[in-house]
Amino acid sequence: MKSLLYLNIFTIIFLTACSPVKKSQLASCPKGSYKVPSWKSPFLVTFEKALFHTTLDIKGNHLSGITIIKRTSDTSFHFTFANEIGITYLDLDILKDTFHPLYIFEPMNKKSFLKILAYDLKLLLFSDSNYGNPEKFIQKSTGKEVFSYPGMNLFVWPDSETGRITKLAGWTTPFDAAIIGFNPVSDTFPSHIIISNPRIKLSLEMNLLGR
Amino acid sequence: MNNPKPVLMAFIFGLLCTAVFPQTKPLSRADASEVINRISEVSKSTLSIESHFTQSKEISVIREKIISKGVFYFKKEKLLRWEYTDPFPYLVIFNNDRIYVKDEDSENHINIQSNKVFREINNILIGAVKGTLLSDSKNFQSSISDLRDLYQAILVPKNPRIKETLSEIILYFNKSDYTVEKLMLREVSGDYTSIEFSGKKINQNIENEKFTIP
Repeated sequence: MKSLLYLNIFTIIFLTACSPVKKSQLASCPKGSYKVPSWKSPFLVTFEKALFHTTLDIKGNHLSGITIIKRTSDTSFHFTFANEIGITYLDLDILKDTFHPLYIFEPMNKKSFLKILAYDLKLLLFSDSNYGNPEKFIQKSTGKEVFSYPGMNLFVWPDSETGRITKLAGWTTPFDAAIIGFNPVSDTFPSHIIISNPRIKLSLEMNLLGR
Repeated sequence: MNNPKPVLMAFIFGLLCTAVFPQTKPLSRADASEVINRISEVSKSTLSIESHFTQSKEISVIREKIISKGVFYFKKEKLLRWEYTDPFPYLVIFNNDRIYVKDEDSENHINIQSNKVFREINNILIGAVKGTLLSDSKNFQSSISDLRDLYQAILVPKNPRIKETLSEIILYFNKSDYTVEKLMLREVSGDYTSIEFSGKKINQNIENEKFTIP
């Protein structure tokens, strides 16, 4: 009985530790006192394709190059990241529920890395507000609104003026906890996107070159 | 009476194919050897190259092209500078065993000896620009064809490490001066990158500072 209790405590601590957002930094709002916003990933709003100057930093290794993201159907995107000289690092088909690596540069062909990248890109490309009723919080340090979708392990920071998302945070395991920032939110499409996985020290930064 | 239309259509189609897809004619062993010797002679006498380049990366699955442009400098033996200006400024300097990469936000120093992938890329780029890859029978199997005013050399890697990334390297040499006009790196993924040189200046003085790694 005691060991079961310890196991439960351990599980709660473990799951809480997975979150890239500390609940202690959020002040909850009473249920029913707020309107739930409708939001979508910028890649789901009249998006065809975009070209980005990209840098990928992982565990002290730095790669740079160009990324092209193209919407290939209502439920799929193609993602290619190549260095400036043209050698492909990553060539991927990303579907809402699956992920097909078409080509991975051999030194990057690690199952654990690809699993995390798959989650990051799905979070970036397919997130929207159709995840049920979120809880509203106010971030104590910034005063910004944060909505939490508990069943999805997802936190969203919508911009109160434009309704566009400024930040996303989500996770499925302790290792893939990701934070995605979008800047600026005033234009139709963000010109700067940064994805970070603090636990594995991965940072993928994309600066828009053209659409 | 026979309908002449199909014959006429076939003729026009043939003409169009010839115009759009220039035919390559493989060189005999003797002719290929002669071309390799000429390229090798030119390579030996080439002390420096300065040229503009247009790079096109073709992503086959989604039929998209990424175009980059810039200026390229080479100085014998192993000094190379790729200065990209479009679509964003980016600089790569290969100085013997060191590589320096600078983009808008960061600078990076890479030691070729400790990075096998960069070492191979460095060797391929220098060999391709100088034309010496053609004589590298240890790492490449080569074949040469006649293509109008160019010679086309197809190099298939033998080295397993290169084979992981590149399936073919295609070099196009100008028939009049035997210098590289264009190179294509065909990747295992089916994508390819072509780099076309223009406004080449051969053996003009290039300051060593161009290749200095800070």
